[in-house]
Amino acid sequence: MKCSYCEWRCELREDSLGICRMYSLDHGKIQERFPNRWSYSVSRVESLPFYHAHPGSRSLTIGTSGCNFSCRYCSNAHIALHDPDTLSEHTYTMTPEELVGMGQKLNCHNIVFNVNEPTVSLPALVKLKEVADRAGLPMGCLTNAYGTMESTELLASIFDFINIGLKGFTSRFYREFIGVKNIGPILRNIRRLAVLRHVEVTTPVIQNVNDGQLDVIAEFLADINPEIPWHIFRLLPEYEMKSAEYPNIERIGHALESARKKLRYVYFHNFVGSEWVNTACPQCGMEVIERLSLGCGGDKLDDFRCLGNQCPRCGYEIKIHGQYVPPLKERRVSA
Amino acid sequence: MSLAIVDAREWQNLLDLRTGKKVQDENPRTLMLRDILKRHPYPGDVDILSNRWVTDTALDLIDAYEPEFACVFYSHQYFAGRYTPMSEEQRKAMIENVFEEVERFTEKSRFAPVIVGSGDLVPLSGEIDLGKMDGIAISSHWSARYVGLHGASSRDLDRVASHPAIEKIVRREEWIDLFPGASYQADRIPEYLLVARAGWGFVTTGTPMRKALRVPGANFEIPLATSLGKAATITGIRSLIHANLGRKKIALIIVEGVGMRDFPMPHTPCDNSVGWYYYEPADAQYLTMSTGTHQVFAYPSGYLYQDELDAKRDYPFSGYFLDIPRDALVSEFPGKSIAVGNHSMFVHVIFGADICLECFARNLYNQGCLGVIHRFK
Repeated sequence: MKCSYCEWRCELREDSLGICRMYSLDHGKIQERFPNRWSYSVSRVESLPFYHAHPGSRSLTIGTSGCNFSCRYCSNAHIALHDPDTLSEHTYTMTPEELVGMGQKLNCHNIVFNVNEPTVSLPALVKLKEVADRAGLPMGCLTNAYGTMESTELLASIFDFINIGLKGFTSRFYREFIGVKNIGPILRNIRRLAVLRHVEVTTPVIQNVNDGQLDVIAEFLADINPEIPWHIFRLLPEYEMKSAEYPNIERIGHALESARKKLRYVYFHNFVGSEWVNTACPQCGMEVIERLSLGCGGDKLDDFRCLGNQCPRCGYEIKIHGQYVPPLKERRVSA
Repeated sequence: MSLAIVDAREWQNLLDLRTGKKVQDENPRTLMLRDILKRHPYPGDVDILSNRWVTDTALDLIDAYEPEFACVFYSHQYFAGRYTPMSEEQRKAMIENVFEEVERFTEKSRFAPVIVGSGDLVPLSGEIDLGKMDGIAISSHWSARYVGLHGASSRDLDRVASHPAIEKIVRREEWIDLFPGASYQADRIPEYLLVARAGWGFVTTGTPMRKALRVPGANFEIPLATSLGKAATITGIRSLIHANLGRKKIALIIVEGVGMRDFPMPHTPCDNSVGWYYYEPADAQYLTMSTGTHQVFAYPSGYLYQDELDAKRDYPFSGYFLDIPRDALVSEFPGKSIAVGNHSMFVHVIFGADICLECFARNLYNQGCLGVIHRFK
């Protein structure tokens, strides 16, 4: 039987698995191999990154195992690319109620699936969504958007805010560095998800590999909606590309000037001290949201100046999904 | 104002360390530090060249600033030892390598060394899964032995009491009483501290996602090697250094992840414990060395650190540290001082040196380097 969760459309048999190794054929039905096996942690929503969804909020970040991509530079290879069978020690068996309860105990405002690819665990996520809804916790995710049309609709029914990794803009790039044949389904799904849900897009930049594709990606996104926030990630290659050159910050920062003419919210981060993490009002230029880029320590909201969702100077409506969460009070410690 | 130079390889930014805001400073000595950082890109925590980076960078900074005190952290063997699979021969070679670096540093700098091993690592015996408690079990800052339990139910307490790998369950008051005179904020200390048996670790909220292979062992004592004298306890290292500071150039050299078992040089034992409690190689141990008083509660094991990380706060580039200690080892020393190391923010926070150069890595992801100028003399 063909698996219909992602565009690999793997042939599942009773004795063989698909690319992600997360679904199996059991008595003629496709089943999850490890339902309700979760990892969880806590993070600021800006670190994930979402810059325009629930600003300042705390997220219960969750994941399972397995991935349908095999990115040569994967920074989570120790989780995403290992045989899910061997990762059981990294995950907890938790019912949806227990996982949502953990989010509430840890004072989280939302749940974000971000460790691996949600398409490999959709049935469990459907059940989690029901419980999270009852608890008033919105759900978001990071996805590579390689789902089938059916599972993309399912994904959109689960997640209110979605950050899509658009890793390049040619099928050749996707074949060579990601291990999938065709970029077509990804572009199709970005268009569809941007209609259905709050979408942000992240593009990891690899020096001399995909840095020449930034302009055309900006054009593609602007054609869908110029208000889509776009995160350019300075990729620190891991896994098979650990020795690759670090992307040149000045050069990419300069190259993005052209993208800013097409898109209203363009960010460049994943390096400590980035100057490209603040939101300027597209109409009057006032910096309405300031953030700190703490590198691998994640990003952090530093100052939120909007009134509601509006620029306090000119009233322009800044694209923000959900509510701003003010910071906790400061505490000081002296040794 | 303390300045922070972030160096993300081929790109630098100058910030106010306290606020994280961009600043300008054209002081020639600031430019000199920027150049040193440019010359020494960080190879990464688990790269074998990581400790060589420490020696090279420290020697370069000594040439440029001519300090009378240097603190040097060597941490590669701690990170690689915890997470990188290796044979016993490879592990021994790694320890030999760090001491070659220590020797190279002391020979070339001609500083009188005070060498401290922060404690041995031992193979992981097993993990205690606390992922599904009624309350919250928090592991903070890579601790293997200690976990804080908040809002525990009686079912939770029964469960941990019956776990064969949990050595002790310590009530908050009992923990505080173990350290009379130590300053603390009671509401930051977990209601219960769970103590694992040596060799065991916890899996719970805050545990690193990477699978540990080794964890800090039962390091009730740690090795101290110096010709300057003896320190019977970890709190005595400060006065040992102070007794000699100003008379000769001194280097406090911390070799992380090496303890009494593996330390290859002649040494004396230094008490690293109070009662059942012993320090792991982390903030509490180094703050205690630096201040000469027990700092077990400055960032108590198992506290709800997420609340503090999310708060509006100072020192955003200093990890979970909320402040720079005022009574650190050399913060009041009139001579010049430096600190260099590959255990990220510990270097600029703990010892109060004038100038600090460190890697900027978190969870083994290498983002470059950080230089901090607390003051020029």
